Order: sequence, then structure tokens, then C-alpha cells
Amino acid sequence: MRVALFRWKAIGPLLLVGVVGVGSWLVFADRIAKATAQAVGTTLVGARVEIDRLHLDLPHGRVEIRGLTVASPFEALENLLQADALVADIDPLPLLEKKVVIDRLAATGLRFGTPRLTDGRTGGRSDGVMGQVTRWGEQLQVPALALPTGTINIDRLDLGQLNTPRAAAALAARADSARLAWEAGLGGLDVTATVDTAKRLAERLRGAKATDVRLLGDARRALEQVKRAQERVLGLERSVASGAAALQGGVAGLADAKQRDYALARGLLKLPGLDAPDIGAALFGLAAVDRFQRALYWVQLGRRYMPPGLLPRATPGPSRARRAGMTVRFPRAHVEPAFLLRTAELSVELGAGGAAPRTYAARLSDVTTDPTLHGRPATASASAPGFRLGAVLDHVRATPRDTVAASLVGVALPPLRLPSLPLRIEPGSGTVALSFALQGDQVRARWTMQSDRVRWVRDSGAAASATGDVIWRVVSAIATLEVSASLTGSVTHPRLGVSSNVDRAIADRLRALLGAELAAAERRVRAQVDSLVDGQVAPVLAQVEALGGDVTGRLGGQRAQLDDARKALEQRLRELTRLPGVRLP
Amino acid sequence: MLVLKLIQSLIKTLHSEGTPGQVAAGIALGSILGLTPLLNLHNAVVFALIVVLNVSFPAAMLGWALFVPVGFLFDSAFDTIGRALLLGTPALRPLWTTLDNAAVAPLTNFNNTVVLGSLVCSLVFWLPLFFAARRGVVRYRATVADRIQHSRLYRAVAASKLYTVYRLFRPEP
Repeated sequence: MRVALFRWKAIGPLLLVGVVGVGSWLVFADRIAKATAQAVGTTLVGARVEIDRLHLDLPHGRVEIRGLTVASPFEALENLLQADALVADIDPLPLLEKKVVIDRLAATGLRFGTPRLTDGRTGGRSDGVMGQVTRWGEQLQVPALALPTGTINIDRLDLGQLNTPRAAAALAARADSARLAWEAGLGGLDVTATVDTAKRLAERLRGAKATDVRLLGDARRALEQVKRAQERVLGLERSVASGAAALQGGVAGLADAKQRDYALARGLLKLPGLDAPDIGAALFGLAAVDRFQRALYWVQLGRRYMPPGLLPRATPGPSRARRAGMTVRFPRAHVEPAFLLRTAELSVELGAGGAAPRTYAARLSDVTTDPTLHGRPATASASAPGFRLGAVLDHVRATPRDTVAASLVGVALPPLRLPSLPLRIEPGSGTVALSFALQGDQVRARWTMQSDRVRWVRDSGAAASATGDVIWRVVSAIATLEVSASLTGSVTHPRLGVSSNVDRAIADRLRALLGAELAAAERRVRAQVDSLVDGQVAPVLAQVEALGGDVTGRLGGQRAQLDDARKALEQRLRELTRLPGVRLP
Repeated sequence: MLVLKLIQSLIKTLHSEGTPGQVAAGIALGSILGLTPLLNLHNAVVFALIVVLNVSFPAAMLGWALFVPVGFLFDSAFDTIGRALLLGTPALRPLWTTLDNAAVAPLTNFNNTVVLGSLVCSLVFWLPLFFAARRGVVRYRATVADRIQHSRLYRAVAASKLYTVYRLFRPEP
């Protein structure tokens, strides 16, 4: 029986299914696009992205978004931004290639840092880029300033932590090796036998005749032996001298190790030095690190989603019941990027010191997932009275260069809690500026904050202490605040520097107040280090000292014996062979 | 309820008037739906083939249902295979680059490791599965089909409304 290949009567239902499918898409396209945009945005930012309404108008190449809210990936109950409306003019043809090309985007009613009711953060602090940035921030060690208690704690010193005992043991081992080597060298010289032979021959020459050729030959051979022995002694002396110098270097190294141990023990005082930079780092270091972390987060996100080059790029696949897998993109030269935002005109609302928000214009251009394809760096700019922003993310070439600079004048500055003190600064309105440049792996950043009307608030629950009271008296008289923090070096090994007018004032007062106590504590830890290491260092020093002197002395004695024997032998030979025209060699 | 429907589908499929080849082709096509992540463009094509080609529709649904858990089970292997094809085989890179920058092809999500790995596996195993299923149907009909066809359970299933719907899509002779 022949079976038909096609089921013609099913064409109708299939077409019906197709029509229903297209109809469903038309009905649900906005919802699908909204869900997709929310999911993609949430993945990109690392915090919840919410959209009130999204409308796709593909025939006119337009997408409208109403009520966009992007939660902050850093703060639990804060939005990164909110926008009333976004209207994008998109190019429909690239959509067939699953590419999004936005010719122009207009955003109105952009507001930053608005409050929210729920935590919008999606990733943990240890996940993805946030995890990298968190770990990066943790390596920037900010010293703790334990002032309010007025006491200086000294932790118990552990012998295993100290450098000097290890250095002393190593030096003792080297001294032992040198001693063994030099003893072997001394034994190998065999000076006594050579000297004895030379003396015996000198005696025999005393009554000998010049015609006794055999005796003269023996004497000359003995003289050669003495000379060779002298050369060996000289060689060993040189070796001993250089070895002794090396051991003395080791002794100097012991002194260096001890200085390091003093520094280590001083660190256990749990008090930074009384230099202003240390105090500045202790007071404002955490706040500065927080700002730099945020800047680095956005730059690293940019590098992750806007990488240079045309190599295949794997990103996590879509979230679904099945395993997500990886989605790999294969960029090709001379075609459209997977995502391109040519220009965006943004209308930003900024409040200045509690005043009614004012509207500023900002511009964004050339934001793309394939900067190498597009050939132009992404830029952002905004300029208004009291507000400036400029950013260039140049990922066109192999080494990415990211530069961001922003400054706000007359903006309400957030309160700062000083981690080491029971104090809080309410800076009021002031000026804040941040510049952040990352070229390849090299970072150069600066954060400054200035305010003329600072208000200091003391934590009422904190225990009273003499030092705390002094600090309170010092800072509460300061009406202005000037903080400057810098970050330099590589991303993997950054260097943080912080200074402020507050730490300079505190440093001056602390020197007067805590200087004596700190000096006494330092003396105590030095004595503690001495008591731990001196017992191990002294025998080694004595061993090195004795070793050099002993070997040098013995070598000197042997050299003197050889010199005497050589002189006696040469004199006898000269007397015996004193003939006209004859010279002994 | 789902299990009951599965049993209904199984019994009706195996006892359908379609040839063993039609049943086997249905199962093999349905396996593609089950093995690969469902919401992808290629599965729309597979579904259209199931409807338009004169294969057993219930068998395709049975194949789909049977291979969904298999797909979940082998997702890790599909991911590995897809990764090897997309990233570990430089010779294929020009093909992927062309497809990724062509119209429509990127909409199939071929560049997802799980989608590509599962699709390649389901296509590779399509013919072996077809022949194995056809042999299984022939053996079943020759041995136990007659007894089951006279059982109360079969008569109850056959009398249900679902069976009426099924008859609409049964294979044509």
C-alpha cells in the first residue's frame, strides 16, 4: 500500500495555528519585549530593571518605554535612575539578524538616586563583576583608628611572625658551612711539612759547599714549594676575607630584620602613625574606596559588554527551565554590531541642595557591543551650570581606555560616618568631583569633596573617653571640609591616598595628646622584640665574629712561618752561591 | 492526569491505523521537540513538518513527551557538545560567523551551546531512532497488540472524547 507523503487536510489547521501565532505575537509582543528588556537589563546592570509599559511600533521603527526604573546595584533601597519616558527610533532590518540598532533615543524625566521600597539588587556581593569589584575594594586596606577608647593595645607577639630568628638561623647555617670549608682549606695547605722541609734544608746549607749541586737542587725545589704554599695561603686568605665580608653582610641583614620586626610589632599597636595621610585614610578611606569601587564597577561592566576585538564572545544563555548554556556571538567586520545606540538625548533632573530639581541636557553616543566594528568610542557628556560630566569609553583598539569625569557644585552631599570615631559629618551642600581613568590595567582616579557648612554630630551612645573628647573638640570647631582621595597604580595593585583638612587638625592634636603614650608603647614593643630575638641573635653574632678572627689569625701565623722559612732558605742559597755574575732567581 | 493522557496517547498511537513507518517518523520528529529547548524557531519548523507530513501526530506528541526528560538529563552533554562545536572547532568558525550575521538564522538561537548541541544530537540520532521505533512498533503489533485491543482499558480509552480529537489527526492511509 502506498502512503501519501503530505497530509493536505492539515494545511488548513497549520495555517490557522500560524495565524493564531502571529496574532498572539501581535497581542503579546509588547509584553514579551517588556519582559525581555527587563531580563536583559537586569542581567546587564546587576540590579532589577522595571518597566511600566513598553510599546513596539515596528512599522514606524519606534519603541516607547514608559516608567523605567533601574535599581542601584550598590544600595538596597535606592534606585540608580528613573525615567518618565524613553522613545527609541530603531532600524527594523537588523532585527532580522537579532541585532538592535537605535538611531536616536530620547529620554525625558531622568532622575538619579531616588528611593525605592524593596531591595533591587539581584546578584550577591561575590558574584560576577560586583564580586570582582568587592574583592578589589577589600585589598585596599584602610587602617583603623581606635581613638575613642584612649588606650593603645599591644597584641601578644608571636615568635613565628618575626623575621630576625629566621635570619639568625640562616646566618648560623652559613657560618657553619664557611667554617667547615675554611677548616678543610687550612688542612689542605700542609704548611707545617713545607716549613719543616725548608728549615731542614736551610740547616744543611749552613755547612755545605757551593759545589754540592744535589743539595742546591733540593734547596731550590724546597724554595719553590714554599712559594706555592704561600700562594695557596694567599688564595685562602682572599676567600676567607670575602666569606667574612658576606657573613658581615648577614649580620647587617639581622639588623634590618630587627627593624622590620619593630615595624611589625608597632603595627600591633592598632594605631596608625600620627601622620595626617594615615589619619585621613582611616577617616575617609572607606568613603573614597566606595566611590572608586562604583566607578570601577561601571567601567568593568563596560569592558565586559563592550569588549574590543572581533573574537567570538560567549555570554550566559537565556534563563529557562532547561540549562541556559552559553550564547556565542561571532562578530564580522563591515557589518552592523549586535547592539548600537547612535545617539541619545537625555533630559536629566537634578536637585541642588534641597531646592526644586532643575532640568539639564545630556548626550550619549556610539554605545555599542562591538566597538571595533563601529570604530568610534562611546561618549557621554552633560554640561549645565554647576554640573559637568564627560566620559569616553574607548574600546576600539586592543587596549581599552576609559575616562570618566564628573563634578557637581552646590549638590546635597550625603552624610559621612567616620568609621574610627563616634562621629558623623553632615556636609550639607557642597562640591563633589570624581575623575576615573583606566588605561589597560593602569588606574588613575581622584575623588574630592568640599563643603563650607559642615555639621558634626556626635554619636550619643558612644562611651566617653579623654581622647574622644579631645577629638570632638577639635573637629566640632571645623566648619569646612576638604577631602581629597587618589588612586594610582595597577588595578591588581592599587595605591590609595587620602588627605583632608580634618585629618591634619586631628594629627596635630593627636601628636600632642597621644605622642608620649605612643612613644612609651613603641618602647615596650621594641623591648618585647629584643627579648624574643636577642637570645637567638647574640650566639650567631659571636659565632661569626669568632670564626673570622680565628681563621684569619691561623692563616696569618702560617703565612709568617712560610715567610720566615722562605727568607732563611733564600739567604742560605744566596750566601752559598755568591759568585760574580751569578744571581739567584 | 498527565500520566493518563500519556497512556492514552501511547495506546492509541501504537494501535493507530498508520504504518509502523508513520508512527516511527512521528516519534523521531517528536524527539527533536523533546530533546531541544522548546521555544526556538527550529521547533516551529519541526512542528510544521509533523503537521504537514503524513506522520503519526500522536506518535510525535508521544516522542516529544518521552524525550523531554531525556533532554533535561543530557543538557550537560549537549552544552559540552555545543561548546565544542561553537568554540572548540576553528574550522566551523566561518560557518557560524556567516550564520550569525545572516538574516533570520540568529533567531534560531543556533549560537546557544545547549540549543546547538541538542539539535545536532537529535538530528544525528534521528535515523537510528526512526528504525528502532519502526522495529518496535512492528514487534508490538505482532505480539501483544491484539490482546490489549480487546482489553477493557483500551475500549474505555477509545470511547473517550480525546479519541475523537485524535482521529482528526490520525495518519491517512
